[in-house]
Amino acid sequence: MAQVRELRQQIKSVKSTAKITRAQEMIATSRIVKAQQAVAASKPYADQITQALSALVSHHVGIDHPLLREQPEDNRSAVLIVTSDRGFCGAYNANVIREAESLIKALREQGREPVPYVVGNKGITWYRFRGREVNGTWHGFSDRPAFADAETIGRRLVQDFLKSDAEGGVGEIHVVYTEFVSMLTQQVQVRRLMPLEIEERHGGEQGSVPPSYDFEPTAEAALDLLLPNYVESRIFHMLLQSAASFQAAVRRAMKSATDNANELIGVYTRQMNQARQAQITQEISEIVGGANALADSGGE
Amino acid sequence: MTAQVETATATGRVVRVIGPVVDVEFPADAIPGIYNALRVEVTLAGETRTLTLEVAQDLGDNMVRAISMQPTDGMVRGTAVTDTGEPISVPVGDVTKGHVWNALGEPLDVPAASLEINERWGIHRSAPPFDQLESRTEMLETGIKVIDLLSPYVKGGKIGLFGGAGVGKTVLIQEMIRRVARNFGGTSVFAGVGERTREGNDLWVEMAEADVLKDTALVFGQMDEPPGTRLRVALGGLTMAEYFRDVQNQDVMLFIDNIFRFTQAGSEVSTLLGRMPSAVGYQPTLADEMGQLQERITSTRGHSITSMQAVYVPADDITDPAPHTVFAHLDATTELSRDISAKGIFPAVDPLTSTSRIMDRQILGDEHYNVAQEVKRILQKYKELQDIIAILGIDELSEEDKVTVQRARRIERFLSHPMYVAEQFTGQPGVTVPKDETVASFKAIAEGKYDHLPEQAFFMCGGIEDVEKKARELEK
Repeated sequence: MAQVRELRQQIKSVKSTAKITRAQEMIATSRIVKAQQAVAASKPYADQITQALSALVSHHVGIDHPLLREQPEDNRSAVLIVTSDRGFCGAYNANVIREAESLIKALREQGREPVPYVVGNKGITWYRFRGREVNGTWHGFSDRPAFADAETIGRRLVQDFLKSDAEGGVGEIHVVYTEFVSMLTQQVQVRRLMPLEIEERHGGEQGSVPPSYDFEPTAEAALDLLLPNYVESRIFHMLLQSAASFQAAVRRAMKSATDNANELIGVYTRQMNQARQAQITQEISEIVGGANALADSGGE
Repeated sequence: MTAQVETATATGRVVRVIGPVVDVEFPADAIPGIYNALRVEVTLAGETRTLTLEVAQDLGDNMVRAISMQPTDGMVRGTAVTDTGEPISVPVGDVTKGHVWNALGEPLDVPAASLEINERWGIHRSAPPFDQLESRTEMLETGIKVIDLLSPYVKGGKIGLFGGAGVGKTVLIQEMIRRVARNFGGTSVFAGVGERTREGNDLWVEMAEADVLKDTALVFGQMDEPPGTRLRVALGGLTMAEYFRDVQNQDVMLFIDNIFRFTQAGSEVSTLLGRMPSAVGYQPTLADEMGQLQERITSTRGHSITSMQAVYVPADDITDPAPHTVFAHLDATTELSRDISAKGIFPAVDPLTSTSRIMDRQILGDEHYNVAQEVKRILQKYKELQDIIAILGIDELSEEDKVTVQRARRIERFLSHPMYVAEQFTGQPGVTVPKDETVASFKAIAEGKYDHLPEQAFFMCGGIEDVEKKARELEK
């Protein structure tokens, strides 16, 4: 019967899908560890640069630098949206984009003009499909971001921040990314990246006197160098967090996909067994009926 | 009827009785022909009845095998059998209108004596000759969106409503009677074959209320009747329709509910007649029997029989030989599907398998054809994506596919339609949507002009303005 063959084919195709999702799940499991290690590895540098900056700022009260300045005359707001290049990750990208869209809506309601910058193929296609303009796109590294990638993004953002509205610049920069809280929870975060707010942090034990620094040639020159670096390291941190969250999302999505596929295989298998049994029963009754009819007519 | 008894040519005697099948021996020089009606007087519990048998086979040795039209209880060997010399016949002409008949042409609602029956036709007739056939290709509008759009009916064509148990075949055929026969103006014939007796009664009462009974002849052989009757009642109804077509030169609507019971009755007697069961236990003559019936339901030059036939699909298996033999004869097929009726979408027409001979650019026009194909494409895509959605979730679909899914879900719901005869179930009065409006609405949905309205708003609506109204109500 055609139905049995059809079901067999369906089972086969679901089985091969299950194989793929199972493999993806295992790959993701091993990659999460690496991604977490990458987050941990970037921490000392981030800590140090933050410390250096806060030391600088706390020594020079009232310091003025273009990257720290509010720009009330600029009405455009950049929104950097960090998505992934690949799918198979459940609602990971959908969540980021939803959050980004609500931010964009909120900005618009405040009378500002949001300008999206997108990282990751999934976000890029989302905007492209809707025919929405995107100011900058980056892709190809969402699985394993390198510092150089953060640098490229950071440079572009700093550049645009320093330009005025008329030149296509922006007045503030927001980032939407996913924070890796634990294996089970990842949270979409919205942060304002620029103008920079330096947290004043004192290294060492409580109450110890902060070290005194001398800056050569000037504190301003040091800021010029340090601030872009700081921006890049913040972005790098967010990319790494997103990458780790992505792997966790993949693992979870693929696990439930494998479960769903197995369930579907069960359903189809039952249907197929039923169809096959019906076929057998029918054939038997046809043969028996035929044989009886023959025997009857032979008896006459 | 007395006239026939006088023309009787011979008397035989009962030799054997096997349920509805009776073997009769006749004198060697007076063997009745195939399809001849035989009469037997049977006395059971002090009551004498006259049974009618129909000759089905020549057994040799002066014996014929006949199928009884009534239960054979009380029939004994040796009982005298009279050959009427002619086949079973039914009254034809205006006298049939407004009355309920059985397979033997006896009125069920009034005493036979009160009617003046001038003419009777034998129920076995040949199909119209080839050169008399007409293939008109005019569309018959039903006002039901899904049918007009995806399986447009042909005026003077044969339409099949396929469906498993309890998906709404009878409701749909009654809806068609309500929609088409009422505004039709011509004569309608309804043949109830092996379905519920209650439905026959309902139909009769409803038609009387709607004042269309005077233009309708009803012929019933319901499920309580023996197989012989169920095998012949469709032919009886058809004969009446043929008379209106050929003699009175009228356009006729013929409704048959349910043509599968005809096949089923044939299979019930087939083995008793000594035929070897064929595939799935059906009679080996399945295609032949169906062909003889279906070839007669046809339009001849200028006069049409538009027929709507409900076809039961055993175990929801459309490849079953019985529904499958009907397929080839039809101009339009509307398939009702269990999956869709389980979603609560009525009429539960399967948009992907229902089709029509006139689903053709040249007949329907480019606009209708293109919209129908586009709607089918979207629904087909949705069906293909269903496994992926079940396994990976809707987020894994590409942006294009997501939009397709959204539209498919809206189209799916918009294909539901409020029906007149279902008002008591849905609490919503029936709606007739003109074909052009249907086409325009589906075009707009397929193009994404209504993507912003919520899915529920599309459910059980008439035209697209109903959807907009519903969407506004939902928003409140």
